Amino acid sequence: MADSSPAPQQPPSASTPSPVPPPLQTLQQLPTQTELQKPSVGPSLIKAEKPGPTAATPELSTTDTPEIPTAASTVSYTIIIPSCSAWFSWDEIHDTERRLLPEFFDGKSTSRNLTSYKYLRDAIISRFRSQPTRKLTYTEARRGLVGDVGSVRKVFDFLEEWGLINYTPPPKKGKEEPEARGGERKEGSYGKRTCTSCGALCSLQCFTTAKANMTLCAKCFVKSNYQRPGLSSADFKRVDLLEDPRPDWTDKETLHLLEAILHSGEDWKKVAEYVASRPAKECIARFVKLSFGEQFIGPKEEHNGFPEHDGDEADESESVKRRRLSPLVDASNPIMAQVAFLSAIVGPHVAENAAQAAISALSNLDANEATDVTEPSDTETKEASAVNDPIATAQVEIEKEQQDLEQSISDIIEVQMKEMQEKIVRFEEMESIMERERLQVQYLKDLLLADQLAVAQHQHRGAMMARDNVNTWEKLRSINEVIDRGTTILL
Amino acid sequence: MKSFAGSTSKAASIKFRMPTRESLIPIRLDLDVDGHRYKDAFTWNPDDPDSEVLTFAKRTVKDLKLPPTFVTQISQSIQSQLAEFRSYGGQDMYIREKIVPLKVDLRVNNTVIRDSFLWDISNFESDPEEFARTLCNDLDVADPEVAPAIAVSIREQLFEIAAQSVSAVREAKLGKKGRRTYDLSKGGNNALDVSKYFGSKGSGVIRKRKDWYMNGPTVDILSNEEVGTLDELNSRLKRKLDEKEDSF
Repeated sequence: MADSSPAPQQPPSASTPSPVPPPLQTLQQLPTQTELQKPSVGPSLIKAEKPGPTAATPELSTTDTPEIPTAASTVSYTIIIPSCSAWFSWDEIHDTERRLLPEFFDGKSTSRNLTSYKYLRDAIISRFRSQPTRKLTYTEARRGLVGDVGSVRKVFDFLEEWGLINYTPPPKKGKEEPEARGGERKEGSYGKRTCTSCGALCSLQCFTTAKANMTLCAKCFVKSNYQRPGLSSADFKRVDLLEDPRPDWTDKETLHLLEAILHSGEDWKKVAEYVASRPAKECIARFVKLSFGEQFIGPKEEHNGFPEHDGDEADESESVKRRRLSPLVDASNPIMAQVAFLSAIVGPHVAENAAQAAISALSNLDANEATDVTEPSDTETKEASAVNDPIATAQVEIEKEQQDLEQSISDIIEVQMKEMQEKIVRFEEMESIMERERLQVQYLKDLLLADQLAVAQHQHRGAMMARDNVNTWEKLRSINEVIDRGTTILL
Repeated sequence: MKSFAGSTSKAASIKFRMPTRESLIPIRLDLDVDGHRYKDAFTWNPDDPDSEVLTFAKRTVKDLKLPPTFVTQISQSIQSQLAEFRSYGGQDMYIREKIVPLKVDLRVNNTVIRDSFLWDISNFESDPEEFARTLCNDLDVADPEVAPAIAVSIREQLFEIAAQSVSAVREAKLGKKGRRTYDLSKGGNNALDVSKYFGSKGSGVIRKRKDWYMNGPTVDILSNEEVGTLDELNSRLKRKLDEKEDSF
């Protein structure tokens, strides 16, 4: 098919003179209206739009008023595009487009060419402009266009970025950027909602469906006037819009709030009752927003000055200091918790002064206690001090015991040494005795030897004396025996 | 006329491609996750980078406000269909001069369109998009979503035919020992031989009057209630089919 015609909007000449059904048709319109789209809407319509954008002046906003004659009414919209996109015109392809979408113009792809680009661009823009109040989603666009979805996406992104579609100027006057994305305000904010079908302002309730991005007022919902087929009542969600003035909190109300919190702690129902005309949620929100940052510094200072008369309490105050991000947190020490709470409620300066007063009072108390202990007596100084000072007495006693212990040890050692000495003495005595006896025995032996010599002489001299000698021999022998016996006994 | 019968001389062995001017792939999505139903059909350009798949999935989920689990499902489905298409790439297919009857039987929103026409497979300059656009213009179809649906449907059928020809070629190659004839009309191919169609039935090119109604397009516009009832019927049928499948 020789597709050389530059304007695809022109109806194929071969067919009957039925006009191009306008791409301005959107799904929002009721099916009954399709028959009413008659030949008057056709290429003529598209041409009518031509003068609009080309007449754009390089001002901040340009207007474009296409007219869509429907059977119901003639609706005219004002299309605003940013000044940076003033180059746009229906007939031409601008350098910007060539530059930013080169794949359509370099001839590399068969599917992406001049005609297809122009078709996509014109179709998307016309589609958006038929309902400029609604943001045209990419999915809607690509569903209604013949072509591959990748090309549609590229053209769509390009047009959206340059504000040619889905563009709502920002409220404040300033330099508009091509990336301005408007039209979303209606979706998420608490602003006024209008019904997409009847156009009435939704005051009390409206019904939204996410599938088709529609909002219906209560009447239209009841009538089941869904624009799109395939929607059922289950798809709609109800949204209640209440009058929500949200005035600022006056000082009185804030004061009431704080008092209520003081009284009832975290019972927000009571707080809300006390404050009056403020729901609990708002009370909470307001309380959270109140600047408690400074109050956190206050209690820290006062806790630094607390005397450390009690080591335990000092430790506790340290840990409480760290935990106290919220003034109402429960410290393990109930006193500390109260102090924390009060110091948070009350201002930092007041807390500081209170702390100072407390410190001075406590130090006075300490001084009084110290004076009672003085005036010791001289004589009993040591004892008194020892008595008074239990630690000292204990120490003294410890020393005493140690000394006793040492004493007894030394006594034991002495006794043992004495024992050993006596033993030594006895042994020496025994030795001396034995020595004497040995000497005696030795003397006797010598005597005996002398006598034997004499006897031997005598034998030589006279045999007469033999019998005497024999007797003497026998005597000597007996004496020998006695001596022997004696020596054996001694040894 | 008869000389055209079984003329293999015109068969050209070419690499697989869509027999259209632009090689675009039809993608069809039908996902049901957590009670959310998403049906869609569109054309995809296979030259687009794969990152495009994810971008498209995210965009679609955002626009249609689907639950985010759909992103992975959609991109997976698209990827698998792309992979299937690419798996055919590089394989041979025989395209003879063949005229294929295509059918269009769709319901898009409120519009029901039925048509059947002949399509020349061997014309690689054919353009389903152009055809769809023209058809909708000529029939004054108001709903702009009809034209892309028609284009996708045509592409699907063309792809089916092309895939069949590839498998037929493969079978023929495997069965080279036995069968010598590349008879592509076997295997469920509903392509027609030009000769058979035009045949010897006298006037040949001109259709018989009684066949006119079968071969012209019809467009019906349904009202919302009819659409609702049709949807109900479809879902009921689907449920019954699913039950039958389960019971097997």
